[in-house]
Amino acid sequence: MKLIELYSVTKIYDETIVPVKAVDNVDLQIDKGEFTAIVGPSGSGKTTLLNLISGLDQPTSGKIVVDGTDISTYNEDELINFRLHHIGFVFQAYNLIPVFTAKENVEFIMLLQNISKSEREKRAIDFLDAVGLKDRINNFPTELSGGQQQRVAVARALASTPSFVLADEPTANLDSVSAESLLDLMEKLNKEHNMTFIFSTHDEKVIRRAHRVIQLRDGKIEKDVLMN
Amino acid sequence: MLFILAWRNIWRNKKRSLIVIAAITAGLSCGLFASAVMYGMYDSLINTTIDRELGHIQIHSPKFEDEKIITDTIPDFQSVVSNIKNISEVSGISSRVIIEAMCSSPTSSRGVKITGIIPDEEKKVTSIHNQIIEGNYFESNIPSQIVIGKKLADNLDVKLKSKIVLSFQDFDGNIVYAAFRVSGIFKTESSIYDQSVVFINQRELFELLNQSAFSHEIVLRLKSFQQVDSVFAKLSKSYPLLSVKDWKLLSPEIKIYYDILDIQLYFFMGIILFALLFGITNTMLMSVIERIREIGILIALGMKRSRIFVMIILETIALSLVGGIAGLIFGAIIIAIVSSTGINLSAFTEGLSQFSISTVLYPVLPLTFYPILTLMIILSAIIAAIYPAIKAIKLKPATAIRTY
Repeated sequence: MKLIELYSVTKIYDETIVPVKAVDNVDLQIDKGEFTAIVGPSGSGKTTLLNLISGLDQPTSGKIVVDGTDISTYNEDELINFRLHHIGFVFQAYNLIPVFTAKENVEFIMLLQNISKSEREKRAIDFLDAVGLKDRINNFPTELSGGQQQRVAVARALASTPSFVLADEPTANLDSVSAESLLDLMEKLNKEHNMTFIFSTHDEKVIRRAHRVIQLRDGKIEKDVLMN
Repeated sequence: MLFILAWRNIWRNKKRSLIVIAAITAGLSCGLFASAVMYGMYDSLINTTIDRELGHIQIHSPKFEDEKIITDTIPDFQSVVSNIKNISEVSGISSRVIIEAMCSSPTSSRGVKITGIIPDEEKKVTSIHNQIIEGNYFESNIPSQIVIGKKLADNLDVKLKSKIVLSFQDFDGNIVYAAFRVSGIFKTESSIYDQSVVFINQRELFELLNQSAFSHEIVLRLKSFQQVDSVFAKLSKSYPLLSVKDWKLLSPEIKIYYDILDIQLYFFMGIILFALLFGITNTMLMSVIERIREIGILIALGMKRSRIFVMIILETIALSLVGGIAGLIFGAIIIAIVSSTGINLSAFTEGLSQFSISTVLYPVLPLTFYPILTLMIILSAIIAAIYPAIKAIKLKPATAIRTY
């Protein structure tokens, strides 16, 4: 089942003196339940492609369909709403709200979705339990290790019951043990809950585990390989 | 949760928040104290004028007020006085005879207003008997006593026991001359009053004028300042043919001070808050700039820009209210401490006496001032937050989340 469809998507940044074609006429389909890594050198267009898929940016031309909905024509408010209900974000630098505890960080996304307080609390605890942090729910991010913070970020991403999770260099700031452990968790969620994960990464550990690797160069798909 | 987020955010940079809170606290408490001093000054002006001369309510014949002619007396004043004495709120009532006169000493003459009183009644209404600096206030039974102000004594170059002559018209228009001996000299907060008013026993005036008792002015003192409006309304209804006036009508210039004082003080506090507003804006702007990535993340996750706007406004209100409430409490404590001792302004006696202001000032501030000021602080915070909040909602999440 197709989850993400890109048709002739181009993104040109023309704020600079010389316009930059960051994504160049890309066609791409990602199915539900994939565990896909988007790789490529710096400047290859990974981040721009991710921004377009996640609705953080709009294409200059082409069409992006997510879960059957064309988001390339959405306005700013519609995109915010789309991101809130369809995408779970995991960022490189964890990016938790530092003044919230682990539980409050997970709860916050559900507050934005107008979920009731009791439901929020229950789900936040359940998701933190699922990422192995049940005993750290009342800790602030500064009281957690990098790996633990990233697990909270995964719990936060899942709490919004998204269509897919978009992880931008999720292991870049982690030591190898924490990185492997995080990937174990994501793989488990992928297998057990058929949750779609899309990674932007340079990390060999991530690439090794990906079921599909899409390699970008100069804004184009250079290779699209299904792994065994 | 948005409140919790706003509240915790202001304590992320404790030092910076405390500096702006301290600025708000200092600005507001100083402003409050200055306002209380001004209020105290006007309070003193009102109280001294009421204590010295006006009382709370006065009754006259309507014609007397215009021309002060001796024959414009209050009809059947004795029944008016006895009726008013039965009003429970009334603590004192004095019937006065008022005559414009010339007062002469061997060396000089001055125009004065004779106030013919029954001393024991007058004591219950005004406070001149407490402001005698030489001699006494009709304590002996010696005839022809006159109590005059210090300034008049200086102008006429007379002392205690000096003889002075009053000349005034009687009911038929003939000039009456009468000699009096200075038995007491008073000094009030108003030098103008001290040089223009003399007191004599009204019984002697009746004899000089060959008239039975009459009255030009009935002055009332009430048990409480707050009872003035109700008693005034009652008396106005009871005596439609007489001129009944409360202190505000009797002294319209003080009423104007009284009316505009609040506006003046709110304006004054508004200026202080306006100055503080820039400091608050600066702090919030720094806070937003420091959190560009974090705010970008919130927008990326799906937080509506309107909510981001509200979050920044809430943070600013929380920050301002902490400083604001501390300022109000601190200001109230300073006012309470200083008002228990008073501020001694005796070094400025000469200048203050021109304005009928007491030389010991008691700062005071009505309680209604505090909630209104709290609202003004919230309003200032909202204004201060607008620019940083706009800055926050204009962030583009795609670039903001990659800002380090």
